[in-house]
Amino acid sequence: MWSALDKMPAPATTYERIVYRNPSEHHYMKVCLEFEDHGVGLNVAQFKQLLISALKDLFGEVAAALPLDVLTYEEKTLSAILRICSSGLVKLWSSLTLLGSYKGKKCAFRVIQVSPFLLALSGNSRELVLD
Amino acid sequence: MAVFADLDLRAGSDLKALRGLVENAAHLGYSVVAINHVVEFKEKKQEIEKPVAVSELFTTLPMVQGKSRPIKVLTRLTIIVSDPSHCNVLVACTHLDVDLVCITVTEKLPFYFKRPPINVAVDRGVCFELVYSPAIKDSTMRRYTISNALNLMQVCKGKNVIISSAAERPLEIRGPYDVANLGLLFGLSESDAKAAVSTNCRAALLHGETRKTAFGIISTVKKPRPSEADEDSLPACKKAKCEG
Repeated sequence: MWSALDKMPAPATTYERIVYRNPSEHHYMKVCLEFEDHGVGLNVAQFKQLLISALKDLFGEVAAALPLDVLTYEEKTLSAILRICSSGLVKLWSSLTLLGSYKGKKCAFRVIQVSPFLLALSGNSRELVLD
Repeated sequence: MAVFADLDLRAGSDLKALRGLVENAAHLGYSVVAINHVVEFKEKKQEIEKPVAVSELFTTLPMVQGKSRPIKVLTRLTIIVSDPSHCNVLVACTHLDVDLVCITVTEKLPFYFKRPPINVAVDRGVCFELVYSPAIKDSTMRRYTISNALNLMQVCKGKNVIISSAAERPLEIRGPYDVANLGLLFGLSESDAKAAVSTNCRAALLHGETRKTAFGIISTVKKPRPSEADEDSLPACKKAKCEG
């Protein structure tokens, strides 16, 4: 009897492979605006205007029309979390890098974190203090 | 992975500004910086100003953010040769004993890069340097920077390119990943752009160090002695010893 069981072929196992190429269509950037002289303040509308004009200066009207959102903004530290669609990340990042001045005052954008996941922006290993 | 390096910080006359510049670079994540002294080439013998001694700049070097080591500060000399009859880029690539060739962005380059000298330079280990701080200041400079960079990329295909800031003030430096992103704008591929801030800089520094060291290499190979007693074919040095 058991010899017949031996000869039964094992059931074929099926594997299914799921590959996510890029599940998120937005990229999130945590940025901070640094001015040469302290005491310059911008409200959130002026900040967004600055971003759009930076994009427009470097890449033109088409890039300025990219769907860009300012998710959070802190006026005291001039830091913000931005959201941009993934195809526009390089354009936004390079236009922030090459921005030199705002209304005649010298400034610089410091990009602190970039991630396709918003949760990753909650922790920054570079700001850890090592004892 | 090689550490990030910014090989061009313009040295002004103000030590305090320079100190702020180096501290800013350390805070942004650069592990190696080089203070650049720029000299015009004149026919007659000229005095080259003494480079800033690092020890008088800092008593303790600032720590690089994210690492526990202090920043490494080097000095560098740049010579501007504006007379095309004297020395042009093609000669510099092939014959001159330099580590880096800077691509100026103050004007549209009057000549096109030709492939043979560039290939010779790449084989020799000479790197091409692009600076990005003029692009931050002025929009005409931005156009020239990008167009000269694209011209260079067409010929050298992104090999041996480094990007650095010619920063004079702390606000003109950008972080290493930002600069790698700029490399994408200049026509480099993603891996080449990151290498432009890290690996190629390290290669240029090592090229500079090795210029002082070996000029040639001798390798000795143990020659198998023939099994038969070959008295006649003793090497000449041994014969000389027997006679002398």
